[in-house]
Amino acid sequence: MNIEKIKKDFPILERKIGVNNLIYLDNTATTQKPVQVVDALKDYYFQHNANIHRGIHTLSEEASEMYDNARKTVAKFINAIYPEEIIFTRGTTESLNMAAFSWGIPNLKKGDVILLTGFEHHSNLIPWQIVAKSMGAGLKFVKTEPDGTIDMSEFKKALTPDVRLVCVAHASNVLGTVLDIKEISKMAHSVDALVCVDGAQAVPHMPVNVQGLGCDFYSFSGHKMLGPMGIGVLYVKKSVMGQMVPSQFGGGMIKEVSLTEASWAEAPEKFEAGTPDAAGAIGLAAAIDYLSALGMDKVREHEIAMSKYAIEKLTAIEGIKILGPLDPEKRTGLVSFYSEKVHAHDIASVLNSSGVAVRSGHHCAMPLHKELGLPATVRASYYIYNDFSDIDKLAEGVKKALTMLS
Amino acid sequence: MDDIYKEELMDIYKNPARRGSLDDANASTSQSNPMCGDDISVQLKIEDGVVKDARFHGSACMVSIVSSEILLDYLVGKKLEEVKSISKEKLLEMLNLNLTTSRIGCATLSLGAVQKAVTEYEEK
Repeated sequence: MNIEKIKKDFPILERKIGVNNLIYLDNTATTQKPVQVVDALKDYYFQHNANIHRGIHTLSEEASEMYDNARKTVAKFINAIYPEEIIFTRGTTESLNMAAFSWGIPNLKKGDVILLTGFEHHSNLIPWQIVAKSMGAGLKFVKTEPDGTIDMSEFKKALTPDVRLVCVAHASNVLGTVLDIKEISKMAHSVDALVCVDGAQAVPHMPVNVQGLGCDFYSFSGHKMLGPMGIGVLYVKKSVMGQMVPSQFGGGMIKEVSLTEASWAEAPEKFEAGTPDAAGAIGLAAAIDYLSALGMDKVREHEIAMSKYAIEKLTAIEGIKILGPLDPEKRTGLVSFYSEKVHAHDIASVLNSSGVAVRSGHHCAMPLHKELGLPATVRASYYIYNDFSDIDKLAEGVKKALTMLS
Repeated sequence: MDDIYKEELMDIYKNPARRGSLDDANASTSQSNPMCGDDISVQLKIEDGVVKDARFHGSACMVSIVSSEILLDYLVGKKLEEVKSISKEKLLEMLNLNLTTSRIGCATLSLGAVQKAVTEYEEK
């Protein structure tokens, strides 16, 4: 991958933060947008904008076709069999809420168990807490090993016959750990449990093949993979979609309506009530085209090299401790770390004064931070426009923070 | 460099005189800011409606620590009524720092803790 060439597609990277060049290492939170994606939005709004599947006029036809093509692009990108297996949502959070409410409510009953890990993002935890509580189901958690991985034999042990659903992150947004979803699906299906995957930190960073993984639900967000904010995806295996009922109602999702009742359109429309974010879907398709042109295997290769370099640089700093597996092959594109002497917020603040943008806090994973006994950590996350020099700036800034504040 | 890391504040941050605990505290509470991971506990010794002594401890960033120190120093000798009437703006004024939105929460964490401790003391 030619990083210098890629950087030119991202105008924001020319920005200064104070007197320093921006070094953007908060890609786990959201990525920057290339010209190609913003141009796609502009083209949609300036040339084709209309409400989809509503009018017979030219613009509506064009917009509808573009929206349908975006669905096909997404399906192909994650190797879904049918475009109808792709439901557009606002993002991973809405996708997981939809899985919880559209599948969980009609299918879970008292005594059923949902199996999760202890490092799930709040968005793959709270919807299940709520649904489990209202259905009388229980939650069970596979423990995290000290190196931030999951022991598959522990997973197997936890898969008791009462487990109806397994909900796991493909890659942890704090530890970086990548889980073996293929193996998890195989084990879960052997006890007739379904598998729901939070892929927010995986789809942007590695080739994802939902058929190969064998999972039943898979969620991700457009804005973490160069796309616009406000668009996301819930993939549902066709054979499972029939078990779901809509959880939002209104225009666009109906077949027939009378004053007292209504019937639903076919999937996926019946799960997309209201005017969809057509521009967002088209922008996401443009982001996918951009990433596909680079090649997701190349993206993955680049990030493994970045992880290796970041781990080397950060572990060499006295007083800095890294979370998650040290093997870069077992991680997605991020490294979380902390100092016992200097608060994460101060490290991030000193880094910002050098133009380096990182995240500090609990990263929407409070239970994990509680388990680790850490109130907050610093997270540096890289993407296709970052290179080793960005990691050098990160390491310099961390050293500066430690010198100043301890 | 952000002006929040200026030298006189760094001195306070590295050696906050009011960091610690009181054996004879009769009002105490803690407050946390889960977004950034700050967690501050304050202890007050109150006599005849006046704060006689105050200490804080916890895991917190530089802004939280410095503001806790400055606030606790200020309120020793003050009547409870005065302590309850300290506004966020007043504390930020005393700190005299150019803070971003996300750090105002850090700066005012101890004030929330102090006022909660006083209210709970009065309700006892």
